[in-house]
Amino acid sequence: MPGRTAATVSLAVALVLAAAPAGALTVVDMLGREVRLPGPPRRIVSLVPSATELIYALGGEDRLVGRTDFCDYPPAAKEKPSVGGMISPSLETIATLKPDVVIATTSGNRLETFTRLEQLGIPVYAVHAHRIAEMLDVTRRLAELTGRQAALTPLFAGIERRLFAVANAVRPYPRPRVLYVLWPEPLLVPASGALLTELITLAGGDSITANERGDYPRFSIEAAVVRAPEVILLASHGSNSAPPIAKDKWERLASLPAVKSKRVHAIDGSLAHRYGPRVVDGVEALARAIHPEAFR
Amino acid sequence: MTRRLVSALALLGALLLGVAVLAIFLGSARLSPLTVLRVLGGGAGAESTEHVVVLGLRLPRIAAAVLAGGALAVAGVGFQGLTRNPLAEPSVLGVSAGAAFGVVVGQLAGGSGAVFDAVRVAAFGFGGALVAGAAVYLIASVHGAFPIQTLLLAGVIVGIFFGSAVTVLISLVDIDRLGGVVHWLLGNIAPLPARSLLVFACLAALGFAAIVSQARELNVLALGEEAARQLGINAERVKAQIFVAAALLTSSVVAFAGPIGFVGLIVPHMLRLLLGPDNRLLVPTAMVGGGTFLLIADTIARNAVAPAELSVGIITSFFGAPFFVYLLRTRRGVL
Repeated sequence: MPGRTAATVSLAVALVLAAAPAGALTVVDMLGREVRLPGPPRRIVSLVPSATELIYALGGEDRLVGRTDFCDYPPAAKEKPSVGGMISPSLETIATLKPDVVIATTSGNRLETFTRLEQLGIPVYAVHAHRIAEMLDVTRRLAELTGRQAALTPLFAGIERRLFAVANAVRPYPRPRVLYVLWPEPLLVPASGALLTELITLAGGDSITANERGDYPRFSIEAAVVRAPEVILLASHGSNSAPPIAKDKWERLASLPAVKSKRVHAIDGSLAHRYGPRVVDGVEALARAIHPEAFR
Repeated sequence: MTRRLVSALALLGALLLGVAVLAIFLGSARLSPLTVLRVLGGGAGAESTEHVVVLGLRLPRIAAAVLAGGALAVAGVGFQGLTRNPLAEPSVLGVSAGAAFGVVVGQLAGGSGAVFDAVRVAAFGFGGALVAGAAVYLIASVHGAFPIQTLLLAGVIVGIFFGSAVTVLISLVDIDRLGGVVHWLLGNIAPLPARSLLVFACLAALGFAAIVSQARELNVLALGEEAARQLGINAERVKAQIFVAAALLTSSVVAFAGPIGFVGLIVPHMLRLLLGPDNRLLVPTAMVGGGTFLLIADTIARNAVAPAELSVGIITSFFGAPFFVYLLRTRRGVL
């Protein structure tokens, strides 16, 4: 299994690298919409924190002229002017930045923002990712938009090397059943549509909610208890106002193998919840939490 | 009166017990009835899955649902008596939204990774409920009365204000939490730890005692404040006590389960149909009847789409909103 997932990632990398670059003036975004650009964009506004991280990782930040309040990584991103939040960015601020294109996403931004921007004559390029392969696709598209195709090969090579290293490290060990708690009350978990589910697989675990429908559905605690997770990972949510991760709540459930073997761990959600370049850090953090024995 | 109260309580108590028995046998874990019986008889090890599911998850959740439902129904009776308006109810009045804002502030004030501090969060919720309730009172009161239109509008406005205040607060502080908080705002019953259940029960008992002790005065208030004054009742003091108690009940539910709507509307009205308008009967039976109603709703929420779950607030609103419309249409002449 781990060998196969690593091979899948490798294949995805190869396919993405082989794909031909789109035309210079009309590009197709990830919703399949044709986006007409006056020329290669020189001024880009990103409404997506993951995309902002990727643009920096590609070295295309010279062309980034605006970001959201939530684009907080890398720290240098905070020096770019902000256009406000993801849900309701300031259209005025975006307009005054005179972007050639705005990067937006269907999960986090509103449709209204898309239509208003297009009414203002500002092209909107949509991205989204539920799988690592899609994240690599987003990366390739952003490399094209920023003219940084040259940076793709080393970036992908680094991602591939680190993912292989994790896969190799966890391969000798049995795959424990993992419960990932995105939110404790009510219980929200990653399901079949979530990037996290794939990351857990890559990190050498079997998510007990991998086959549920949707992205991040509500889930019954009872059902989670019956599936007897051997590792429980409690996501913290970035900033220093992190919510209570309710570790004690899980530790009261004495029948859980994870509780008996004291394998209830907190994990930094900002690494694994965004489909930016730090996803690889997320996989490494997950692997260390799921298989501490592999990293001694 | 006492005999009617005793027989009504006995009947409702039996119904509650029946629903609770059903609820403990039902769940996504699909334990056989025999297994559940064995656990209840003490025949399962404390570290077995069955033990954890039945006694660690289902039983505390049933207790939390009964407490929350009872508290909301009693708060409903209190607000209805206070405003002399049959549509008054914690969520309709915006008091739940005020409490929710307070609870979120209380959670944010907790700092990084702090253990859920039940008392602090409940106290912040209580503050929010008082502010929202006072705002509705000031906006809606016309010469000491609460005409139905102004009361409902004031409640809706205050509710919307505090609802958006929660979203603004979360968006400013940490957008990553927004998804979780949005789910919380729908209202969810959780299996509370014993310590939290105890705090919850104490707060509910306090609010209940404060309202049930004024049940006779509430009856007199229904005749008008002039009549109350002639009978030697200090209307202002009674109203203040009912208001504070109903806010306390509402905020304790919001703190431990989130804002759940319409329980305080449906249950008191059902009971009024059965028992008449006497608050001395209504307040105690609302405690039991509200518990039964919310337990039924939560059992549906737990089992309808298992192993996923619904928010119990969605179930109560699903039944409550049509009921609200029905009351608005049929009682128009009376209001």
